[in-house]
Amino acid sequence: MSRILVWIALGLAVLWAAGNADIGLDKLPGAGPRLTEFLGRMMPPDFSVWPEVLTGLAETLRIAILGTLFAVVLSAGLAVLASETLVPSAIWRPVRALLAVIRSIPLILVAMLMVGAVGLGPLPGILAITFHATGMLAKFYAEAIDNVGAAPLAALESAGASRAQLLRWAIWPQMAPVVLRDTVFRFELNLRESLILGIVGAGGIGLYVQTYVRSFQYDKAATVTLAIIALVLLSEGLNAILQKRFS
Amino acid sequence: MTQALSLQAVSHCFDSAEALQDVSLQVAPGECVALLGPSGAGKSTLLALLDGRVRGWRGRAEVLGNRLPNDRAPERKTRLETGFIFQEFALVDRQSVYQNAINGRLGRMRLWPSLWGRYSAQDHLKTAIALEDTGLTELAQRRADQLSGGQRQRVAIARCLAQEPQLILADEPVSNLDPAHAERILELITNAAQNRGIAVVFSSHQPELSRRFAGRIVGLRAGAVLFDKPSAMVGNDDIRNLYHGTAPGDGLRVVG
Repeated sequence: MSRILVWIALGLAVLWAAGNADIGLDKLPGAGPRLTEFLGRMMPPDFSVWPEVLTGLAETLRIAILGTLFAVVLSAGLAVLASETLVPSAIWRPVRALLAVIRSIPLILVAMLMVGAVGLGPLPGILAITFHATGMLAKFYAEAIDNVGAAPLAALESAGASRAQLLRWAIWPQMAPVVLRDTVFRFELNLRESLILGIVGAGGIGLYVQTYVRSFQYDKAATVTLAIIALVLLSEGLNAILQKRFS
Repeated sequence: MTQALSLQAVSHCFDSAEALQDVSLQVAPGECVALLGPSGAGKSTLLALLDGRVRGWRGRAEVLGNRLPNDRAPERKTRLETGFIFQEFALVDRQSVYQNAINGRLGRMRLWPSLWGRYSAQDHLKTAIALEDTGLTELAQRRADQLSGGQRQRVAIARCLAQEPQLILADEPVSNLDPAHAERILELITNAAQNRGIAVVFSSHQPELSRRFAGRIVGLRAGAVLFDKPSAMVGNDDIRNLYHGTAPGDGLRVVG
């Protein structure tokens, strides 16, 4: 009975989404030739802009590296406050709620606010990435702390180890691989997400995407697109290798 | 000569259930004692208490001549003299066998060198001997999570021996192992203790193994000592009584 209701609700949702003339489904038949023409204008890519593209990519990479670094520093502190095992629930509950709110704000929105606050350039990009990434990384780190097995801790404590020694030889070895894996994963996300930051003026390659598309220089936009694809594939490959090592 | 451990009228309850009732027990240096009893008899509680991990118990307990406090953890200095072998091994999985064993030295190291892993020649020597005694020399560089159950328990024993304790407590050290491994592990623990001239107290629910490896058996039932005699004098009646009979002071007692 309830299953039928679910199906009816899903059907109604799709009908509501599609039942609006503004979508302009009548444009669909003509879309094929238009897309072909559009892609045709991207060919052949104009590689003469590669110095600009390289500069843009380098800036994006710098934003991702520094944004990740600051997010790691902030997350290390916040993770302790968000850990169920280290602090009372009066602290970790509000901290986790705050992190959830931070995560829920889209990066592009944060970037626009930061541009408004500190002006154009890579700085607002770095700040936006730092803010956005901390919401996820602090939560992941806190979970890494909470997932440390208690038995080895009890064993070393019983052998006379001090708190600092426990942290170094029982807690850290257990959480280090998780922390490294999460950090590399977050760096890859930061790199992908910072590619579009330039569209709102927050630095990086996105600026060139916007410039070339808006001025109808599709052959140059194609070069930028290829460069972005190459960078993302590269970082994904690196991530895959590192993930294997940290298992 | 001071006793390795001495308990006088030790009681402890979890919530309202009495885990230990008026337990008195003496163990001499070099002695090998088995705590025998069914699950829930209080064996683990008693061993954890002796290791300084239980709070709020009543009575008087001395371990290696030091009075055990019942409201806080004992001094680190005294804790490292008592070695504890855990039922579930309690190894750091991602570390090597060697690192796990040398972790037993932490209590004897100064803080700063220990954090950087700068072990002294003495630390390396004691660890190497412990690995040799437990037959792990070949496996020293293997990661702990790549070992079998019996090998993992041997690493836990090596860590305990590297600690150079004056007393070894072992909580069900062989209950996770098959019978063949169980015998070898108990032999290893009792031999190592004998060679070092130190006392060992292990808990078990297996009467045969306890009789073979311990010089003396303490039968625990419902938190109370049912019998305490040399292994050779523990008869089948004792065992039957331990597992099927009624315990002294059975049922709940209200304690003020």
